[in-house]
Amino acid sequence: MLGYSVRRLIQIVPILIGLVTVLFALLNILPGDPARMMAGPFADPDVVRTIREEMGFNRPLWVQYLDNLGNLARGEFGRSYQSRRPILRDLIEVFPKTIQLAVAAEVASALVGIWLGVIAAARRNGWADRLIMTIAALNLSFPLFWLALMLQIAFAVFLRLLPPSGYGIGFDRFIILPAFTLALPSLGLLARITRAALLEVMAEDYIRTARAKGLRNALVMRRHMLPNALIPIVSTIGTDFVRLLGGIPIIEVIFAWPGIGKYAYDALVFRDLPALQASVVVLAVSVSLVNLAVDLLYAYINPRIRYV
Amino acid sequence: MRTSIREFATSDWRRFRRSRLAVVGVGVILLFALLAAFAPYIVTDPTQIEMRREQDGQTLRPPFPPNRLNPFGTDQLGRDIFARVVYGLRTSLIVGILVRGISMVAGVLLGLISGFFPRYVDDLIMRFTDIMLAFPVILLAMTVTAVLGPGLVTVCVALALVAWPDVARLVRGQALSIRGQTYVEAARCVGAGSWRILLRHVLPNCMGPIIVAFSMGIPGAIMYEAGLSFFGFGIQPPTPSLGSIISDGRGYITVAPWYPGFPGLVLTILVLSVNLVGDGLIDVMNPRAALGMQNSRSAT
Repeated sequence: MLGYSVRRLIQIVPILIGLVTVLFALLNILPGDPARMMAGPFADPDVVRTIREEMGFNRPLWVQYLDNLGNLARGEFGRSYQSRRPILRDLIEVFPKTIQLAVAAEVASALVGIWLGVIAAARRNGWADRLIMTIAALNLSFPLFWLALMLQIAFAVFLRLLPPSGYGIGFDRFIILPAFTLALPSLGLLARITRAALLEVMAEDYIRTARAKGLRNALVMRRHMLPNALIPIVSTIGTDFVRLLGGIPIIEVIFAWPGIGKYAYDALVFRDLPALQASVVVLAVSVSLVNLAVDLLYAYINPRIRYV
Repeated sequence: MRTSIREFATSDWRRFRRSRLAVVGVGVILLFALLAAFAPYIVTDPTQIEMRREQDGQTLRPPFPPNRLNPFGTDQLGRDIFARVVYGLRTSLIVGILVRGISMVAGVLLGLISGFFPRYVDDLIMRFTDIMLAFPVILLAMTVTAVLGPGLVTVCVALALVAWPDVARLVRGQALSIRGQTYVEAARCVGAGSWRILLRHVLPNCMGPIIVAFSMGIPGAIMYEAGLSFFGFGIQPPTPSLGSIISDGRGYITVAPWYPGFPGLVLTILVLSVNLVGDGLIDVMNPRAALGMQNSRSAT
């Protein structure tokens, strides 16, 4: 298992090199001169030239590329063009806030989603099932940015219950709206997967046995059905967490949540290559780690799976 | 195993029809498509500005709330939001189908090649899909549109670029499992070339998952286009896009909630309909799963 994990981690390296290469190519086709962006629109041409030389923008592209790759290999993300601060320090500040938001959203949607899925499966084809499945399908169809906007109007403008956007320390009122918005589509997906997995398990012989020996329905569900339905549910939580990380930039920008998604968005708008590249690398690595964690969790839940 | 489109047309349509929600989805999509196609004959000019309106002896200023003339109200320039939404639907549908079309062709071709040709070709293509899949989708799409300049074509290119790797993965898996079948061996024995086998024997046999993937990918394309336009990276005015209408309406959210509200509602209904059709298609293409569900229902 350890060897397997190490091999998976090593596989990330060429992917990261590819990522950085694609990004470097894209951003160098991008119109706009980073030196001019840094100096501001009314700067003296001399100042622009000095910055260009200082930052090494006047060197041949391949030298810049190799230099960039070498720095990354040594774990040096460089300085942000925009804030002039070391990017590493920026990332240490913003990344935990993204984790906080993503984990809050995923935990909330997993708890509520599985619960709704269990109810739907237990009352299949009843009105509760229909209602839950309709809500689930609807939740999966909301455009995230519009949903965010509507929830902002409802809870912040009209009901005045929650702050519309911003960040507060700890798990306070600021996190509720963005986390809730992120959680809604996941919740729908998890409710559907849980229901489908439970219905599949329901046909198994051991469920009939459990019922035949007179176990209460709730106990059959908790002891026999849920544990056996867990594999598709856990794998969905894993892939869903990855999907949720993809929606993070949208939510963070709309709710002014100072996480890595907003950081990357700002970097893109400002043509801040080192900052954008660093945030993309960090996001890609976190996605790979989540995928690895899910695979390892499989083996834990289902002892028949063994990685060598 | 599915062999031809014609077969789908007969027995499968009956199975598809059994799912009422999927049929409703098809109906809504048809309605939206008709609206979009005949937009100039149905709605007023979406660019017509109306800065004042007299009513009951009072002079009103836009945005006007929903009324008899403007079912969805108007924006801050007095332009009819219903008309803008209908033209926006046009954009959404074009982008959805175009993006999915391009990414399916690219993904299917690369997936077939990857699953059928020698190891090093497979490795090359799969490592490239790994790289593309590691990108945060919305950031990559934004970067590409920033590079190519915004507009309908660039948005389609950017979204197709982020969408094909999933398709390639799926088709590769299918191709790998079909490669070992006896009929492929038989075709090789009678002297068929690799490309002929791929297009005549392998491709038709993975049509089911491909059709499902096509329909399941459209909502994503539509939503990402709206998202890109919302952030100003997508379709540029004067071309209306649901995303940019919602974005324009952001500033009027307290005085005119209908302004960002209705376009988003229409977008949600469109995406929901395509999702429902996709669910219906899954039931058709995977009859065993559907049957299994029915068995489990009757068993308990």
